[in-house]
Amino acid sequence: MTAVRPQWMRSAGSGLLVFFGLLVILVLTLAVFGLNPATALPTILSGAFGSPAAWGRTLARSTPLILCGLGLTLAWRAAVYNIGGEGQYVMGGIGSAAFFKLAGALPAFIFQPAALLCGAALGGLTAAAAAWLQAKRGVQVVISTILLNFIALNLLTYLVSGPLQESTGRRPLSDRIPADLALWRADPRIDLHAGFLIALAAGIALQVWLFGAWGGFRLRLVGENARAARAVRIPAEATQMKAMLWSGMLCGLAGAVSHLAMTRQIGMGFAEGWGFLAIPVALLGGLAPMGVVFAGLYFGALVAGCEVLARSAPIGNTLVYVIQAAGVLGFMALFEWQKRRELARRPALD
Amino acid sequence: MTALEGVSVEIREGEVHAVLGENGAGKSTLMGLLAGHLVPDSGTLAIGGEPAAWGDPGAMRRAGLALVHQHFQLVPAFTVAENLALDSLGTLGGVLDLAGVVENAREAAAKVGWSFDPSAPTGSLPVGVQQRIEITKALATDARIIILDEPTAVLAPDEVLDLIRVLKSLREQGRAVVLIAHKLSEVFAVADRVTVLRRGRLSGEGRIGEVTEDQVARMMVGDLPDIWTPSERPLGETVLELRNAEVKGDRGETAVRGVSMTVRAGEIVGIGGVDGNGQIELAEALALVRPLSSGERIGADEPAYIPQDRQVDGLALDMSIWENMLISTKIPQTGSVRRGRVQGWAQGLVERFGIRLGSLDDPVRSLSGGNQQKVVVARTLSAGPRLIIAVNPTRGLDLKAASFVRESLQSAAADGAAVVLFSADLDELAQLADRSWFMSSGRLTQADAAGLTGGRT
Repeated sequence: MTAVRPQWMRSAGSGLLVFFGLLVILVLTLAVFGLNPATALPTILSGAFGSPAAWGRTLARSTPLILCGLGLTLAWRAAVYNIGGEGQYVMGGIGSAAFFKLAGALPAFIFQPAALLCGAALGGLTAAAAAWLQAKRGVQVVISTILLNFIALNLLTYLVSGPLQESTGRRPLSDRIPADLALWRADPRIDLHAGFLIALAAGIALQVWLFGAWGGFRLRLVGENARAARAVRIPAEATQMKAMLWSGMLCGLAGAVSHLAMTRQIGMGFAEGWGFLAIPVALLGGLAPMGVVFAGLYFGALVAGCEVLARSAPIGNTLVYVIQAAGVLGFMALFEWQKRRELARRPALD
Repeated sequence: MTALEGVSVEIREGEVHAVLGENGAGKSTLMGLLAGHLVPDSGTLAIGGEPAAWGDPGAMRRAGLALVHQHFQLVPAFTVAENLALDSLGTLGGVLDLAGVVENAREAAAKVGWSFDPSAPTGSLPVGVQQRIEITKALATDARIIILDEPTAVLAPDEVLDLIRVLKSLREQGRAVVLIAHKLSEVFAVADRVTVLRRGRLSGEGRIGEVTEDQVARMMVGDLPDIWTPSERPLGETVLELRNAEVKGDRGETAVRGVSMTVRAGEIVGIGGVDGNGQIELAEALALVRPLSSGERIGADEPAYIPQDRQVDGLALDMSIWENMLISTKIPQTGSVRRGRVQGWAQGLVERFGIRLGSLDDPVRSLSGGNQQKVVVARTLSAGPRLIIAVNPTRGLDLKAASFVRESLQSAAADGAAVVLFSADLDELAQLADRSWFMSSGRLTQADAAGLTGGRT
């Protein structure tokens, strides 16, 4: 048996590997699109980190990625492959906007937590519906959550041109919430908002819970081997259902946060793909909550930087998607290769 | 760690060559070398006198080498015919002559007296039959060297006899058979020569007839522990009672039909018989993992359950060793895992049960089969349970590990635990159980000790 490095060193090592690997992919992608990395890279960097506003942008873009990434991580750790983060995010926005329509007159300190809760609840119910369909009707969660994405998007389209449409009834948008009901910001000119702190706290809390609490242990056991869980009478199905509920709640929370802090109203453009981009975030974060926080920050910075790049090079906004796809493919190949090398090297023990 | 050192093996046509050794002795490494999956740091390989290259699975296959894995390389959802065709697949777009493949396989199987239904879905067949399919695959490709990795581990006693018969007929066909095995009695029933590995080295070899079982056992383990201790335990009150229990199987069939039994404190009740006669369902019902469809289960004690397949039902292979030790019915709903405390406790179990490992943080997958089983046994027995349900707890283990598990069950019974031991190994039942039943078509049939030994070969 080879000397085994401590767990944190291995995690930190693979974290650095992912970081530099993504950087290489970024440079290569810039070159492929005919942008000079020597000029484009500094543009992206300064767009992400060059000023307080840039930092604020990075952290604000990271927020939904982290929250959705955490949600997906939770479900995947229980071996429920929720890829409906986008739909649950949209439902979260709908929940928050609907609450504003119903109770927009409440004071901020009551309104905000209640609206966030509404969003989380709606996202959670959407995910739980998919889990229920799997448990009772054998419908694959992978399929049902994809399809629920479309249901959520079309529901959004209907609502913003129907029941939730702004009072003036002109544009397909919900009423804009007043500034005093929006989530707290240190500086109104900077995007950074209290939602980022929520995401960060959720990341820390989930990391501690998943790897340090009996509940997290049960969830991981069910995900790793549901039959072993059954043999010690841990109800696998109920655990997965709960994981899916919380997964959807985190994605829904992301949507509610976006609504309360960033968009302040919802329309057809509310679904910006955060729930989809959260899939590579969760994967590259190694399905560990703190890993997801870092992966979310990375992609958040990339989105923020590419927004600025897009002002001079129209390709900018597409870059993010090319890089996430290349990153995921690259790292899947790398991990697969590592696994094979390890298998080939490892002396068989019996 | 060096897995194998200075080992030389000669495999001859028309011979059954047994490779024996404890878990971790290097048997699988040797097999990996022969199959071309591993490359040694030094050493040479020759096939039919011609020097050959290491590490080329394709070349080894073309040279006529076939592996029969302990974990079958079959696709459960495919029919038997489709599984047989897996080894003769051409390129994508080529035409698959399924009928030809099946005919060829049928002929090869018929030569050893086997027949099968090519349209049956493989996953629904009993393990014994699946193994026949796996062996038939090797025969159909006209393999000259057939390596079987612990083929009897999954077989019922009469299936073992059949396999021994087939191995003999393969020998008569002039093929070379390599049998990787644990059980001395089986090796001596079929092998011509035996190679014994111990801790990666050649610890002995010889022709059957020139070496005795006792000598080979000593080559394997050094000194055999004294495992044949008769029990004279006092019996206590009834710990568990089943009344007219019926249990449904996974496909809704009635797997257990009207079973009544009692188990008292301090006794080991053995349940033997051919696999697939309702043993698993009965065990799960006793362990409260599966509900009764009718009848009654009376007993207040929390059952401790050693499921039959450690990798399928016992362990989360990619979780750490210490986390696997925590898997039990007593995992709290809430609260935090006191890492230092549970790791210290796990370390205590590692020492008490002599589990050989690198680090507690390693995935349990990194352990040998015997040590994986010790993890399951250790965590099950650690809390001093009053009721233990164990299903084939020594299956696939080497002598030392198996006798250790048996001793652990015996000492639990001596401490007053009620033990229900399901085992396909009659020797084991005869040795451990105070009384035994057979199980047949979901019913218990009484069998006294004389009947048990009378049924042996």
